[in-house]
Amino acid sequence: MSADQLIQLLSWVIFLLVFATVAVRAARSPRLVTIEIALFFSVPALIILLAALGAAGLIAPSGPIDALTTALLLSIGYLLLRVVDKFATAPGWLLRGSEAALALLTAGTFSLPAPRPGWLSILMLIYLLGLLIYSAVAFAVEAGQSRGVTRRRMQAAATGSVLLVTVFGLASLALVQPDLGGERRMLTDICGLAAAIAYYLGFAPPRWLRRAWQGPELRAFLSRVANLARLPDQTAILREIEHGFATALGAPRARIGLWSDELGAIQFPLGDATYRLNPRDDLPAAQAFQLQKVMFTDNLPRDQPAYRDMSRAYRMISVLAAPISISGQRIGVLVAYGPHMLIFAEDDLELAQLLADQAATILEIRSLIDEAARNQAREEATRLKEDFLSAAAHDLKTPLTALIAKAQMMERAALRRPEQPADLAGVRLIMSEGQRLRRLVLELLDATRVEQGKLVGMLERVDLVALAEEICGRQQSALHSCAVDSDGPVVGMFDHIRIAQLIENLVENAIQYSPGGGAVRIKVWRAGDLARVEISDQGVGIRGDDLPHVFERFYRGSNVDDRHFAGMGLGLFICRGIVEQHGGRIWASSQPHQGSTFHIELPLLAVAEQLYA
Amino acid sequence: MPKAPILVIDDDQAIRTTIADLLEAEGYPVATAVNGADGLVVLDQVKPALVLLDMRMPVLDGWGFARTLHERGISVPIVVLTAAQDARRWAREINAADVVAKPFDLIDLLDAVERIYTNGS
Repeated sequence: MSADQLIQLLSWVIFLLVFATVAVRAARSPRLVTIEIALFFSVPALIILLAALGAAGLIAPSGPIDALTTALLLSIGYLLLRVVDKFATAPGWLLRGSEAALALLTAGTFSLPAPRPGWLSILMLIYLLGLLIYSAVAFAVEAGQSRGVTRRRMQAAATGSVLLVTVFGLASLALVQPDLGGERRMLTDICGLAAAIAYYLGFAPPRWLRRAWQGPELRAFLSRVANLARLPDQTAILREIEHGFATALGAPRARIGLWSDELGAIQFPLGDATYRLNPRDDLPAAQAFQLQKVMFTDNLPRDQPAYRDMSRAYRMISVLAAPISISGQRIGVLVAYGPHMLIFAEDDLELAQLLADQAATILEIRSLIDEAARNQAREEATRLKEDFLSAAAHDLKTPLTALIAKAQMMERAALRRPEQPADLAGVRLIMSEGQRLRRLVLELLDATRVEQGKLVGMLERVDLVALAEEICGRQQSALHSCAVDSDGPVVGMFDHIRIAQLIENLVENAIQYSPGGGAVRIKVWRAGDLARVEISDQGVGIRGDDLPHVFERFYRGSNVDDRHFAGMGLGLFICRGIVEQHGGRIWASSQPHQGSTFHIELPLLAVAEQLYA
Repeated sequence: MPKAPILVIDDDQAIRTTIADLLEAEGYPVATAVNGADGLVVLDQVKPALVLLDMRMPVLDGWGFARTLHERGISVPIVVLTAAQDARRWAREINAADVVAKPFDLIDLLDAVERIYTNGS
């Protein structure tokens, strides 16, 4: 047996094997695509059968047999176009046109007597080469647009078409040069064989090869998975899982729908909107959720005609949906879909479930992280509240202690020596401690309002310069001078009482922390739409590490010794509340032992109004 | 020999003077200090028979004051005066002779002082 014959025999065996494989697959799961692929491979099998019968002398070479072989060859082009349609949607006119051409050429083959006229052979070649080149281009374009397994499969299919073009190109040379050289025949056989293998890998890749192609994408996905749960928000996690799922399965698109108890629906982001899927619908995603198993359709508009519009709008032809659930709790559905029929294989279902389980684990971890953060925040809030209450109670008890003790002492004195005049100093202490208590109670109430965001009430026209001058006049003494520096009125919409409280508080602070006396300066000016106020003193100042904290509740500077004047550490907290609830900003700067400056920025227009809208 | 004084350590001026007035009216000699560190200085000078100690104070708090006394081997009865809710626990922590919670009743404070001052001298 020559090498030539050996190759021919080998190519026959492989063609038959491929046909057997796809035929078995079509018989097992008789779907449109598997049947069409089996049909496509049945043609070379029939041609080989005819040739083998002829070689064995079981059928004599004759006109009809020759014509039958030619007709079978012609049908390869049309059947290939049908397969292309399942991958990349061939235009309808091309399908109709090639059907007509196939019919006419077949009729010509059978009706015209041998030898076949040259023009008919040329028409046949134009028809075949045209369809093959079209399919090669269509597969190559599709390969460029897809990822993962699908890309590899499209590349294989495009290669198959190029090889087949070579086969028929070599055959067409035979028209010009009828004496077919042995080498050229061998080359034709080898190309035909390679085309068969390429198509087989493209249209019906064996399981192991699919896995090998999926491998790198899958590994990339799994290596990213570990860090996914730490992404800043859940949407980012969902997008990453969707991307990984789509890539691993070779689908153009994937979406995660999450079950919502309130809505009683699965929510999918589709296009710009959110699609609410009723779990009792007939869509694969709903069924996957209901039945808790992977669902798959390769032709949604055919299987569910009611969803034809949706299928067209979102380019959903093949759909694969896997339930996401963890320890029996249904979280949602992972759906991969694409505009062509031939994307998924039956054995992708297992992989899809695996990926959906991974997704469930990630989402579970994420929800645990979120819950832990929520618990922590709750505990922190409770702790702050307890701190607040105990600090408040402590600070309120202090003036109360002096007040009660003094009153009791005066009572005893009055009982013991009723003729003695009342202890005036004692009465004054009781009064001043009473005032102190009153101020603390008001501070506490204000601090609570800061937290509720209800500090600022009605807004009215206020001239900050006039207000500052009024407060300055009230607060200055022989020890502390107070002056306002401005170029004229600065009028804006403010809560008069609160802004007065703000400036008064800061001026009182300035005086309090300048125990040795000194000048307090208030600068007021306008900067665009903002009112700016600066209150500076020449007092003890604030240490650098205290600066960022002075506006915090109960925070007291570490260089402040005497708590008698320091209040509860709520003053600046309330000041910040007043400024912020007016839509402004407050900050402090300081040089220790040289004084502090408090800077305020307030929008002149009624920004605060929107807080109450 | 003059009687040893009672040392009142409290950062709040109103409370400090009120207690001093009260104790002086009852015939006790009194010394005052504004915080723990100040208290240690005054303690060295006057050698008190009893310390009335506030716990939460700036510079050196009640715990710091009591620890320093312990480290220096000085033994003087302490009555804790505090407005905090944990008054009893804090008193145990520094091994105080007694505790009076603020705001206190005059009688309670005088009872405690009388009992411990007598025992101490």
